[in-house]
Amino acid sequence: MKLLILQEKLKQGLNVVSKLTPKSLTLPILNNILLNTEKNFLELASTDLEIGIKYYILTKIEKQGKTTIPSQLFFNFINLLPNKNINIELKKNNLDIVCENYKTQINTISADEFPIIPILKETENITIDNSLFCESLKQIVDIASLSNSKPEISGVYLCFQKNQLIITATDSFRLGEKKIFFKKPNLLKKEYSLILPQKTIKYLINVFSEKTGEIKISFSLNQIMFESSLQETPHPEIQLVSKLVDGEYPNYQEIIPKKFTTEAVFKKEELLNQIKSASLFSKKTNEIKIKLNIKKGEMDICSSNNETGEYQSTLKSKIKGKNEEIIFNYKFLIDGLLNIKSSEVLFGFNGDSGPSVLKPVGDQSYIYIVMPIKT
Amino acid sequence: MLLSTNMTNQELWQAVLAQIQIDLSPANFSTWFKNTDIINIEQEIAQIGVPNSFVKEWLENKYHKKIFKILHETNSGIKNIEYIVKKTNLKTDSKKPNTVIENQLTLQELNNNKETNLNPKYLFENLVVGPFNELPYAAATAVAENPGNIYNPFFLYGGVGLGKTHILQAIGNQIAKNFKKKNIKYISSERFTTELISSIHNRTVEDFKNKYKKIDVLIIDDIQFLSGREKTQEEFFHIFNILYEKNRQIIVSSDRPPKSISYLAERLRSRFEGGMTADISLPDLETRIAILKAKAIEKNTDFSNDVYNYLASLVKTNIRELEGALNRLIIQQKMNNNLSLEEVKKILKGITSSPLKIITPKKIIETVAEFFDLKEKDLLNKCRKKEIVRPRQIAMYLLRQETKNSFPFIGRKFGGKDHTTAIHACKKIAEEIQKDKKLEEEIFLIKERLLSSS
Repeated sequence: MKLLILQEKLKQGLNVVSKLTPKSLTLPILNNILLNTEKNFLELASTDLEIGIKYYILTKIEKQGKTTIPSQLFFNFINLLPNKNINIELKKNNLDIVCENYKTQINTISADEFPIIPILKETENITIDNSLFCESLKQIVDIASLSNSKPEISGVYLCFQKNQLIITATDSFRLGEKKIFFKKPNLLKKEYSLILPQKTIKYLINVFSEKTGEIKISFSLNQIMFESSLQETPHPEIQLVSKLVDGEYPNYQEIIPKKFTTEAVFKKEELLNQIKSASLFSKKTNEIKIKLNIKKGEMDICSSNNETGEYQSTLKSKIKGKNEEIIFNYKFLIDGLLNIKSSEVLFGFNGDSGPSVLKPVGDQSYIYIVMPIKT
Repeated sequence: MLLSTNMTNQELWQAVLAQIQIDLSPANFSTWFKNTDIINIEQEIAQIGVPNSFVKEWLENKYHKKIFKILHETNSGIKNIEYIVKKTNLKTDSKKPNTVIENQLTLQELNNNKETNLNPKYLFENLVVGPFNELPYAAATAVAENPGNIYNPFFLYGGVGLGKTHILQAIGNQIAKNFKKKNIKYISSERFTTELISSIHNRTVEDFKNKYKKIDVLIIDDIQFLSGREKTQEEFFHIFNILYEKNRQIIVSSDRPPKSISYLAERLRSRFEGGMTADISLPDLETRIAILKAKAIEKNTDFSNDVYNYLASLVKTNIRELEGALNRLIIQQKMNNNLSLEEVKKILKGITSSPLKIITPKKIIETVAEFFDLKEKDLLNKCRKKEIVRPRQIAMYLLRQETKNSFPFIGRKFGGKDHTTAIHACKKIAEEIQKDKKLEEEIFLIKERLLSSS
């Protein structure tokens, strides 16, 4: 293997693939990344055996070949090199790297031991605007359950329908749902509903969110693949494959309240600010209390803590329904509000033990449901 | 090597593993061969189950020859190998995350069974049976033993928070246990309506109907919400008939008897009345105490008998509220052990004062209008249509009874009528209540609504 590559390009690629390499003590090859030449492309690949990623760079290749090299070491070293051409050559078991005044040899492990990344070929697929897709995932991904007691809800649910993609996550205390409406119906022969590990979604956002253009999503029974293309030439740039979470996602539609006992619209920033202030005075249990007064048209936010003191603030708004006093975990409210992009937000309540809702005003694509704390 | 075709698939695969192990590092071996097995051998093809696609690729590309050689040597009938990614059993980790706050409420519906929509926590075993629900309980257990054949349809009605949903779901869960193959579906009538609307919207009404036609046990909660929804009633009627003809069990609940559901198509009403109707009345004091004790045991606490007595005498008409009050006590009990009756009284002060809700004339008129599906202004003007006169009289009666207003005041309230009209109305309703069971029930329900809304 012999090739000539620009430092900048190689750095970009390594930045993506090196993030996936786990610290595996049992299988040292997983700490390495694969370097492989494919005609005019250099392929970088890494995997943790749940997710696999391939990154292609258009490169001047003088001699084809492949090898694997410790990920962190390689990435750190390339990072420090000047933005000039780098000569890379495989000599027996060492990788010779020459760039201006820098010269090094790094030990390699044979590429034969590197896992084969199961790329999906010729399966049904769909393309979506990449930045919209990543932005939508960001609004949902952190809601997924961290506990393993229910594996189905430890992942993010994606349901590809004719006219829309629904993205959902819940940890059984709150639930977020985001819809992406397609401009025209897609050509999928059937609906695909699948659960992706939260880790995959986080990594996906990391890898793709800066990219413009479209992302291609391919489906199979137990895998999914995300792919972006090079701008210069029709060739994949990044291919990310992931396993799916086995299991059925719960029928959560029933949870979404259709009616509220009390509802009001607030300025998002004001609401967020007051909740954040209240959080400073809440107890270890993260409790803050919301009091709704219909007559006065006021919502009070209160918290108190023996050590720090007491807090109360008021928001004015037209409030419909009946007076309520409800206790929430402020963290859950903040999480929901931070994912709302509009300037105004609808806050709907269902008593002190029913699900409350946060929704952007004038945007039907997002809804956040949160359960109160029992009084 | 022994050539034996009598080996089980498991033994055969163990033979493969035993040999391959020799040539591999332990790390490699456990990475690529953990959770693999032979699923099936059929028509000379051995199907090897693997946990994920990475393992599939790896075995296909790196170990295929070796695996095939060993398999073929051991069982010469095997001519080919297929690698299949298995569904893995989800690992459940019973450890709860420590970040969870004790009283944080959860979205209960997430535990519902995906197919049947039943909540596994509602069972006959944890239902408290007393004189107030003996009959529905007996009927429900009979239905659960022999669905579709005894009481069909089974119509259950009763006030808010008395356990209709509990009985309904318990029937479903019991049938699911007794008859594994039965296709059971629990749905609220609201959900049924939204499903129908979205199917009309997406032009998939046929799919919607076909889905329901396949059901063996259909349980619909709160059917009174179908009131006035003609299209939904029509579709429901057809589904009802199809299921009924095939002897499929239908179970329905409502907050009032079929007769009192306004705007319910006559044909549907008579269908409901054709089966078994049972009502849940209010639990008596002893039953309320029994319920409290059962709930306390469920939550691993106990109180003195005085506390139970006091609590049961405090909340009379709603088991859900009873539970709510008990939960409050449980929280207090955890903080400062053993509550005295005095402390309990203090804690529940908020609840004791709630029955003293002020009932205003406005509230009564609102509630009566809502109950009969009329507009408030219909009640207040001079219209003499029969369907309005009657509710108006009931409203006048309630105004007199609940607020002790004077007859002239009542007359004025209803569009400047004479006080004699008010006297006549009150007298008439008071007399009829004695004779007409249905009217008595209606008035009871209206009163209950008056008290339960705030």
